[in-house]
Order: sequence, then C-alpha cells, then structure tokens
Amino acid sequence: MKTFSLKACVGAAAVIVGLSSAAMAAPVEVQWWHAMTGVNGERVDELVKKFNESNDQYKVVAVAKGNYDEVINSTIAAYRAKRPPHIVQIYERGFMTMLLSDAIVPVQDLMDKTGHKVDWNDLIKPVAGFYSYKGKLAAMPFNSSSPILYYNQEQFQKAGFDKPAETWGEFEKQLYAIKKSGAAECGTALATDYHWSMIENYSAINDQPYATKANGYDGLDTEFVYNKTLVVPQVARMKRWLDDGILQIAGQGFSPEQLFTSGTCATYFASTAAHSGIEKNSKIKWSATYLPWEEGRQPKNSTIGGAALWVIKGHKPEEEKAIAAFFDFLAKPETQLWWHKATGYVPLTNKAYELAKSQGYYKESPTREIAILQLNRGTPTDNSLGFHFGNFTQSMFAQREEVEALFAGKKDAQQAMDDAVKRGNEILRQYERLNKGKY
Amino acid sequence: MVARTHEPGLKQAHFRTAGLPALLLLPQLLILLFFFFIPSIRALMQAFLLADPFGATVHFVGFDNFKALFESESYRNSIWITVQFTLAQNILTIVVALILAFATDRVVRFQSAYKGVILLPYAIAPVIAGVMWAFLFNPAVGPVAFLIKSFGIAWDPNRNGGDAMLLVVLAASWKHICYDYIFLVAGLLAVPRSLMEAAAVDGAGPIKRFFQIALPLLGPTLFFLTTMNFVYGFFETFAIIDAVTHGGPAGATNILVYKVYQDGFINLDLGSSAAQSVLLMSFALLLTLLQFKYVERKVNYSI
Repeated sequence: MKTFSLKACVGAAAVIVGLSSAAMAAPVEVQWWHAMTGVNGERVDELVKKFNESNDQYKVVAVAKGNYDEVINSTIAAYRAKRPPHIVQIYERGFMTMLLSDAIVPVQDLMDKTGHKVDWNDLIKPVAGFYSYKGKLAAMPFNSSSPILYYNQEQFQKAGFDKPAETWGEFEKQLYAIKKSGAAECGTALATDYHWSMIENYSAINDQPYATKANGYDGLDTEFVYNKTLVVPQVARMKRWLDDGILQIAGQGFSPEQLFTSGTCATYFASTAAHSGIEKNSKIKWSATYLPWEEGRQPKNSTIGGAALWVIKGHKPEEEKAIAAFFDFLAKPETQLWWHKATGYVPLTNKAYELAKSQGYYKESPTREIAILQLNRGTPTDNSLGFHFGNFTQSMFAQREEVEALFAGKKDAQQAMDDAVKRGNEILRQYERLNKGKY
Repeated sequence: MVARTHEPGLKQAHFRTAGLPALLLLPQLLILLFFFFIPSIRALMQAFLLADPFGATVHFVGFDNFKALFESESYRNSIWITVQFTLAQNILTIVVALILAFATDRVVRFQSAYKGVILLPYAIAPVIAGVMWAFLFNPAVGPVAFLIKSFGIAWDPNRNGGDAMLLVVLAASWKHICYDYIFLVAGLLAVPRSLMEAAAVDGAGPIKRFFQIALPLLGPTLFFLTTMNFVYGFFETFAIIDAVTHGGPAGATNILVYKVYQDGFINLDLGSSAAQSVLLMSFALLLTLLQFKYVERKVNYSI
C-alpha cells in the first residue's frame, strides 16, 4: 500500500508539475525596456497589464531601465553581449543611431511580415514624418509630445492682458510689462530642455532652415546653418531676458516647473507632457497656448519630442508575432486615447484624436488639444518635418554649452551660434565618415 | 643584507612552496584582471577606433581620436579645469583636515564626539551630498545663497563659471576632509608626547610646536594624502559634478573624468571617450610617478 500511494503521489505531482509548466510556458514573453519613471512609469505598467489581460497568447514584461540615456546604454551593452531585449524605448534624438545600428527591424517590415494591417496614413504627420525612413516607418511612435506655452492667467490679467500674444515681439513686451507691474517676479522659467522649444521648434515654426539637406532627411552630408537664421536674434533675446530678470534659470537641485507652479514666473515653455505635473502641483490659475512666432510669418507645425519603440532584430518568429500584437494594441484608438488622457502625450493617430473630440474631451480640457493642433498646423516644409542628424545628442550638448557661454557673457550671440554650428558640423562629419553609404 | 635573516617582520615571511602564495594572491589578481586590466586593454583598443555604439561599423583611425582631442577647445579647457579643480580641492582638503585634526588632538572633553561628527560626511553618498550642496547654494531657493546675496555678493553658479567651480570644490572637499582627517589624527597620535612636552618646556607655543614638530613628522602621511587627494579629484568626484553642475555652465566644471562619461555614455562617442580615459590614466600615472620621484625624497619616514 505504502509504495503504491507513494508512487501515486509522485505520479500526481509529476502531472501537476507538467500541467503547470505547460500552462506557464503558454504565453510568449517579450521584454520591453523603457525609460518612463514616476507617474508615467505607473501608466506603463497599467498599459502592459491591459495588454496582458486582453489575451492569453502573449505577455509583455516592462522593465524600467532608468532615464533615456541609461536605456540606450543598457540596450547597447545587452546587444553587444548578444542578449538584447525585444523592444526598447529610445528618445527621438537617437533616431539615426538606432536606424543605422544594424540592430533593428523596421516596425513596418515587422507588421507586414506578421500580417498586421496598419493604416500608417492615419498617423499624425509630424509623428510619422519623424520616425520614417524612405517612406517606411522605422520605429513605433510611443510617447510623443510637443512644446507649448503655459501661462499664469491671474498674472497676465493683473498686468492688463487676456493671454500671451501670438508673436514674439508682442509677447516680449507683455513679459516686461508683467515684471514692471509687479504681477510676477519673472517672466518665464527656462526649461531644462529649452534647446528643444526655444531653438529647434522655433526654427520649425518660423520655417527657418536648421541644417541643409532638409534638416538631414536628404543625406548624411547635411550641415548646420542655424547661425545664419533668426535663431541668432532669438538666443540674443534670451540673453537679454536673463540680464533683465525676465528669464530665470532654476539650476541644479530645483525644477523650473516649480518656478512656474509656485507663481514666481508668469510663463513656462514646456512639453505638453508636463500637463500631469502642472495639474497636480500648481495652486495657480493657469492655461496654455501655442508657442509664439515671429511677426509677419505664417506659423508652421511644431515638431515632436519624446520617444519611440524600436524592435531589436534576431528574435524568434513567435516573439516577433507577440511584438506585433502588442504594437497593434498600442495603435488602437482606445489605447491611444487612454494614454493621451493619462499622461498628456499626444494621441498618435487621427482616429484617436477624433475619438477624443467626439467624447468632448477637449471641451473639458482645452489645453490638451493645443499640441495636436500645433503639430497639425499647415503643411510641413523641409524645415518643419523634423530633424534627422547623426549623434544629435552630442551636437545638442555642444549647442547648449555655447548658449551657456552666451549667458555667462563670454561670447555674443553670433559668436556663440557660429561656434555651436562649427562644433556641430564636426560631429556630423564624423558620423558621415562612420556611416558613409548607409543612408 | 646580513641583517636580513635576523630581522623579524612581514618582509621575512617565507613560503615553502609557490602554490600557497599564488592562491592567496589569486582573488586580488582576479579582481584586478576583470575590473582593471581587461577594461583598460579594451579602452586602449577602442581609442584607436571610430565605431558605431552597437558595433555594426568599425573603422581603424589610428591617432585621429587623440588628434581631435588636442585640437578641441573643450578638451583643452577640460584639462585646465581639472588642474584648477584638483589643486584647489587638494589644498582645501588638507588644510582644513590638518586644522581639525590638530584641534581635536588638543581638545580634552568630548574628543570622541567631535571625531565622530567630523567623520559623518564620509558616510553620505556623493550624489546625495552633491544634491544637498546644489540645493543649499541654488540662487533661486537655497538658504546659503540667500545669505550670500544678503551680503551684497552676486552669486549664480547657473550662469557664472567661477561660482560653479567654487561650489564643486567646496562640495568635493567637504566630502573628502574626513578621509584626510582620520589619517592625520592617527599621524598626530604617533608624534611622541615627549618631544612635544620638551618643546613646551622650552617655551614653544602650540602653533610653533605644530609647525616645528608635528608637521615635519606628519610628512609621510601628508605625502600619502596628497597622492590620494589627486586620485580622488581625478576619478571619484564624478558623482558630485553630476549632481551639482553637470559639468556646466559652459563647461566651467567639466573635469576630465566627467567629460569621459559625457562623451561616452550620453553622446555615445566611444572612440573619443576611450581615448580620453587612456589620456586621463596616463596623466594620473605620470603625476603619481612625479610625486614619488620628487616629493617623496623630501619626506622623512623615521622618527
């Protein structure tokens, strides 16, 4: 008896183990490394949970790997060690690095191969334009944003204004008036990513060439030219504001958003994704509007920031299917709308945008629509489609250093931009030398 | 030579076979191999390459990375900044640590309490220390910044490179004073009381006793600490720079080790970053050798 029952037990256990391991092995698992922290990190977990619960075939495992720099570095290290994740979230500046890395599968190819029919034309133009290469989408847009202008309504009213003026000239007068009237201590807080709103998007909206070859879209032999455009008076204006106390730098250990939400500064140029933070932390009455443009110019669309999801090559076919299924889920209007509402990032498809409109979402939160309207404004030109520069982070750093030299009074605006362009072009040439013939 | 067999001590330890000492050395050698020699050799190789970060395209470019560095204004600036930073940090750390060590040596009451408090900064993570200093001296919200401004002194480390440099020197020194302090306290304990008492009887005041007796006898400790402070300034201040200034404004605090990180990990320019780390290591090596060659000679080890 004893032996029999023992055998039965072992047999039963084996069956159970076999069953459970079969059940556990069922969903195909894919790893997704992302850079979303804080509240947005929780949203990513919710998003993944929604997908995992919506089907029992595939499972996405989201892993927070730190900030964008840390994600791209971890990806590189994992790829070189031949153990890469399936999906990685890479900032928009890393587009060329990823595109020519030879380590990725273009998203459009993946979706075609796995038989998913995606209406790519439905993607919002500046988003599709930024992440496309030769008419084909290279990465799956994920969190896209655009800078807008947040302002303190009470302070504007106190100084006798309804809202910020449309043009830079008038807007500047308003800020000086606000400071002079004592409505606010400072006009605007310098965002940590000011190069994006005040220089890059400024160029796009005012249809100023940032570089030759359609800002890098038409070839690796592109050269920066923003030292010959309105960017020079624009940075000179920033320096003037700084000297006159109109512009404040928050500096390390303190966030510029707090300068705005605490009522110290009357305006703040920041991403539409700053919505959630400002809504949560501010005790002021605020609203938002479009970025200003120069007098007499027809404003163009702004460009995007944020990140996209890249698929690393070399994974098994069933895992690629899982990735495609996840992307299909992401592109659904309902998912897009939920993400848009939860985070403040823009919806990526026109369908999702229409859905939000039909639900009356923008009647209750009108400022959430500004970035989308601004991104969709007019027909994109060569100057407003986006930026495809190799090692873009590096040239952006050089540019920021030169702007800081201008702020410190070591150089004038022209000199600073000349030096930034010179350093940037050396970086572009090095990238061209490395990747000749690949683009 | 004859004295060798008669003099006991560590130097005389004998092993019968080569196996045991090799085994005892092995853990340390393995650590060195994996965390020093292999990375160093790879950095050295990478320094001569122009490579895609993913490794898809690699070009051998000879000394181009080094040439580009010496032609680059920001790299030359970084060298100069590093010299200023390490020197200022070194002097400040040693002087303050010396004063504190000498002071606590003379204190009769609560001596161990003082010692404990002075050692505290060593227990604080560099990043936390950096964030704290950045916040205290932030011109918009920092209490210390308000104090400075109330004296009518202009203070803005976000715009003014000099202010930013001063801030990182203070933060880096504050973090390292306790390290020097421990060694100096130990060094002072080793100074024979009889010498000090004899000097006191002969009428030498505390300051004279310090400069005439204690300081020369602290020579070996001071020499050791100077070397360690340079190594600290060169390599370990990275976290403080990262938390306080990010190397800015306009590269005013972009010391060599921070630039290696920035170019390698943020800008993904691996070739240049590797070339910079090779150069940085050579500088550190050269400096240490020079110190041993010229400074150590003047140090008197025997009491």
